[in-house]
Amino acid sequence: METLLAITSIMFFPAGLSLIFSGMLYEWADRKLVARFQNRVGPRWFQPLADTIKLLAKEEIQPLGVNQALFFGLPVVALSGALTAALYVPIFGIQPAYSFPGDLIVTLYLLSLLTMCMGLAGWNSASRFSIVGATRTLTQLFAYEAPFLLALLGPAMAADSWQIGKIVAYTESHWMIVLQPVGFVIALIGLMGKLELPPFDAPEAETEIVAGALTEYSGRGLALFHIGRSVEMVIGVSLVTAFYLGGLGNPLIFLAKSLGLLLVMAFLQSVLVRLRIDQTVGMWWRAGAILALLQILALIVLK
Amino acid sequence: MNTEARLQRAKDALAPFTRETFAPETNRLDVVIDAGDLTKATAAMLAADCGYLSAITGLDLGVEAGYMEALYHFCDAAAVTSLRVRLSREGQPEIDSVADQVPVASFYERELSEMLGVTVVGTPDPTHLFLPDDWPDGVFPNRRDFKIEDAAPVERDVPKIPEQGRMGNKFIVPIGPQHPALKEPGHFEFAVDGEIITGARMRLGYVHRGIEKATEQRNWIQNLYLLERICGICSHTHTSAYAMGVEKLAQVEVSPRALAIRELIAGMERIHSHLLWLGVVAHEAGFDTLFMYSWRDRETIMNLLEEITGNRVNYSISVLGGVKQDIGPAESKSIHKAMDYLEERIRYYLDIVSTDAMFLQRTRGIGTMTRDEAILYGALGPTARASGLVRDVRLDSPYGAYKHFPISIVTDERGDLEAKFAVRLKELLVTCFTIRTLVDNLPAGDLTVRFPRKVPAGETVSRVEAPRGEAFYFIKSEGGESPTRIKIRTPSLCNWTSVLNKAVGHQLADMPMMISGMDPCFSCNDRMVTVRRKNGSQTMSWFDLRAYGIEKYKSR
Repeated sequence: METLLAITSIMFFPAGLSLIFSGMLYEWADRKLVARFQNRVGPRWFQPLADTIKLLAKEEIQPLGVNQALFFGLPVVALSGALTAALYVPIFGIQPAYSFPGDLIVTLYLLSLLTMCMGLAGWNSASRFSIVGATRTLTQLFAYEAPFLLALLGPAMAADSWQIGKIVAYTESHWMIVLQPVGFVIALIGLMGKLELPPFDAPEAETEIVAGALTEYSGRGLALFHIGRSVEMVIGVSLVTAFYLGGLGNPLIFLAKSLGLLLVMAFLQSVLVRLRIDQTVGMWWRAGAILALLQILALIVLK
Repeated sequence: MNTEARLQRAKDALAPFTRETFAPETNRLDVVIDAGDLTKATAAMLAADCGYLSAITGLDLGVEAGYMEALYHFCDAAAVTSLRVRLSREGQPEIDSVADQVPVASFYERELSEMLGVTVVGTPDPTHLFLPDDWPDGVFPNRRDFKIEDAAPVERDVPKIPEQGRMGNKFIVPIGPQHPALKEPGHFEFAVDGEIITGARMRLGYVHRGIEKATEQRNWIQNLYLLERICGICSHTHTSAYAMGVEKLAQVEVSPRALAIRELIAGMERIHSHLLWLGVVAHEAGFDTLFMYSWRDRETIMNLLEEITGNRVNYSISVLGGVKQDIGPAESKSIHKAMDYLEERIRYYLDIVSTDAMFLQRTRGIGTMTRDEAILYGALGPTARASGLVRDVRLDSPYGAYKHFPISIVTDERGDLEAKFAVRLKELLVTCFTIRTLVDNLPAGDLTVRFPRKVPAGETVSRVEAPRGEAFYFIKSEGGESPTRIKIRTPSLCNWTSVLNKAVGHQLADMPMMISGMDPCFSCNDRMVTVRRKNGSQTMSWFDLRAYGIEKYKSR
């Protein structure tokens, strides 16, 4: 029975299919909102699903000179990392499936797995655009990862626990966006960096390096990376909402809150110009990391 | 200083080298010099400040005449001084390079050598500029005895393109011919050290259509429609320049009303071109919102052009001897309405590009070109004006209705991308104002006058300010129903030197914006000669293409 439950939770709920579909819905919401901000019509609601089906059905071209195992393995690892992370995160305002002390750190590292896999995939692709893209992806990872982690540690320190379940229980009565506004901003912008959304889309700046690390990917591999990315979006948005916007509460209200967060992200994506990679790194280390550290310091002092 | 004084200055400067002089038109001076004196004469022209080298025309006088000529056109405001160098038709004539004095001349010299079969001694890069790499040796399209049958492609290794900057054992990022950053095919190679560019090189000529050569087989009227198709953005520029030149040759006086309508359409074309540019550069910067907004507003002007001329791209409003469509009360009302909207939007965009902090991070101090560099590289149009160099044919040599409806020039001293935005957007406001003035004060007159079928023999130079800078036309007639030679030099070609020279030291991420910043137009650039591939035919029907694709796929 235990095993069956575990399989169900990985295959269907909360990870697995339900997460993939909600990832597509989030992706659609994001694309639609950005399109509306940009004075476009935007895609229909099933467009991400149609894209995925199309990609899965397409031929996968393997470039010459790549390590085959890595080329086909990395997308799978990336997606499974993102799906596993979902087990510890309260998606849709429902208590996480599994929980243990310190699962916050595990979740964050599982989320980074996707970015690492993309970097490796780009490096493995033996294409010039991919290599430049991979370098940028990994450079950017080192830029936003520390501030993002620190921003999520703020609520954890306030709740005196590194267990997502406990932190969420604490934030339910404490709106962290009010108590730690700096942390919220850094978490939100860090999430955009993690998802490589504009203005942090230098790793896949199409006008310079085509599609960055994923230039050589097509068909199934590309689809898996895309799914992984939208799953990460669901997890990231849920995590930030649960930590900073008043915990879980009612699932419907939680959904509304995370959609509100998505709206803010779409707005930022529309109004900001892409940063060069040196500007991204400079911004995170000169402003992001220092602000996050100052907030942690303030928390320690005030406690 | 008036035009006569300028011509006199050039005449004095060239006196030591002059073999023969004649003045084909009031604003022109042709000086015949020996091939050996070319570099000295060029130096004398530059030293006496007699303008910039605007184009080199290769002219074959025919087998009977027994010689060819290379014409070096120097433009100094309205005055055009042409150095005519006589070259033998026998064997491979030689001429000295002036590229060390005028860097942009290396492009002209490459074109001259591949089209006319002149060896340019000492030119930095002797490879093909426009012609394909598999073009046969010893076949020169601009010679009068050129036959298309001779131009069958030959097998050969692609020659290495000489580099600018350090290229050696480096990581090279290729951009193009097919790349998301490029809307038209061109090929760039950037050697990068991390993200910093250490070398840049370029290959043009992917969109040859052989238009210059094709004009020689068509009559004067057909050519108007052929030349309009050089560029999809500044089509009216080309018809204006051509019509103006041919009308001068035929001594046909066009009515003021027709000239004013031509200027009106040119203004609208400038608005459409600059708004398109704004969107493209914003997209290169990853600012798609501005891209979408500016292209939405561009629709206003496109609809207006469609309402007036019936077409959105090749407006076909000019005919030889006038214009086709009139501006009535209904049209002027919609023009005013469109201008109201556009002026408001352009002010808004100007505000964004000059105040948005994130945007300024990507434009301020990027690709800065000083005024001296702009002169050295031979920059034209808004690219030059953004560096404080006033080069605008509308001001220097007012043509058509610009004599009566002058424009004010916008310049900026800063020379970076930010300045290019400011110059182009302010120019739009000026253009909107000019359009309003024109519509309110259209002179009376007929739309067209009678135009002869044959144009009297003669040569003329016709210069028009395109949205990107000066377009140069040299038209030669021998009194027949079709031209003997039409030489076209479009502004994009002149601006390349500045971008390539400025690339080194910048970041890879800045390159798409810098390339787009000069508003390149590959179609204008490349237009020289028919390319024939191995299977002999260059046209493929849709079914052939499909069958070819399937076959290619199966045979992998």
